[in-house]
Amino acid sequence: MTLKNIFLNIAGYSIELIPQTLPIEIETGYKYFVTGKINKPDITIQCFEGIPEGLFTDIKPVFEAENDDQRFYSIYETKDSLGFIIYNQQNKTEIQQIAILSADFKHWQIYSTATPQGRLIPLSFPMGPIVMQYLTIKNDAVMIHASCVYDGEKGRVFTGFSGNGKSTMSQIWASDGDLIINDDRLIIRKEGTGFFVHNTPMYYPDIPKKAPLSSIYLISHAPENRIKKVTGAVAVSRVLAFCIQNNFNEYIIDNNLEFISGICTKTPVSDLGFVPDRSVIDFVLNYEDK
Amino acid sequence: MTNLSEIVNLKKHFVTRVVGDELIIVPLTGNVAQMNALFTLNETGKFIWENIHDSQTFDNLLNSLVSEFDIDSESAQKDLNAFLDKLGSTLKKQNS
Repeated sequence: MTLKNIFLNIAGYSIELIPQTLPIEIETGYKYFVTGKINKPDITIQCFEGIPEGLFTDIKPVFEAENDDQRFYSIYETKDSLGFIIYNQQNKTEIQQIAILSADFKHWQIYSTATPQGRLIPLSFPMGPIVMQYLTIKNDAVMIHASCVYDGEKGRVFTGFSGNGKSTMSQIWASDGDLIINDDRLIIRKEGTGFFVHNTPMYYPDIPKKAPLSSIYLISHAPENRIKKVTGAVAVSRVLAFCIQNNFNEYIIDNNLEFISGICTKTPVSDLGFVPDRSVIDFVLNYEDK
Repeated sequence: MTNLSEIVNLKKHFVTRVVGDELIIVPLTGNVAQMNALFTLNETGKFIWENIHDSQTFDNLLNSLVSEFDIDSESAQKDLNAFLDKLGSTLKKQNS
């Protein structure tokens, strides 16, 4: 059986997936992010069959990604790597995958159980988003829970807590002709002197999209449209709160703080309470014109 | 009243960044629940935070505050006490 490497381009970063013993496949959301062979990928992922036993049994996790309902993953820190135990999202006592990330954050080893068809799916949720998150850390970028719409000139990012209207807002702008970059998870990265917003693979197929970052709105539902500019440390802290981060490590926090500070220096950040109809578009456009 | 040594110990569990005259404080944390629990201090709060260290005393800190911000000692003492109490309880809560 021929083992074929898979190359992905996500937010302009190149990723090489390298099967070791079994063929690999990707989930449908990654389909349009597949690219041709890349000689020097930004990161490599070696894909192994089986879940090794006994790893990390004698050390405590440095980070637990879990809530009352779900257990996503645990992170372990050794002197030359980070280890990840990824739990099955249907049965949180079962390990879905184990992953090891090199100290330079460039090389992954991902261990997965084979499908009944004898294939590995190394970027099964939530492993894929974890890979993308750690890809941003050393690359002048950040991953954020937000939606973004693009009118051909400006990319507007809307971020907020779950239920605050990120998807609703992007639909309103889309009905006015804007392109939705994504309505849930974005990568913002520095390219040259500017910041750009990229979509990332989701559970559904979508093509790679990109927009220049023009403004960030911290949104919430309100009885009438209202807006207030947010600046300085408050802007940085408010935006950072919606970034996807594992704050067990000083380096990671410093890195995010520096990057978000850079964004907030160049990009207006505003608190936007909105009524979920088209009136918010004129309201925002008038505000930006002032 | 929160004592300074308690705050000195708690400070080790937080990462800070200066933005202009203000300070952002982010907790080092081992779980997702605390990830959004970051906060900011204004110029006066930043000055106090930066001047809390191992060898610091309340009286020295008060004197520094009075000379830096040109306020009367009585008001400064009252405000400093209130600030340290609030800071101590916030740090403890976010470090729990």
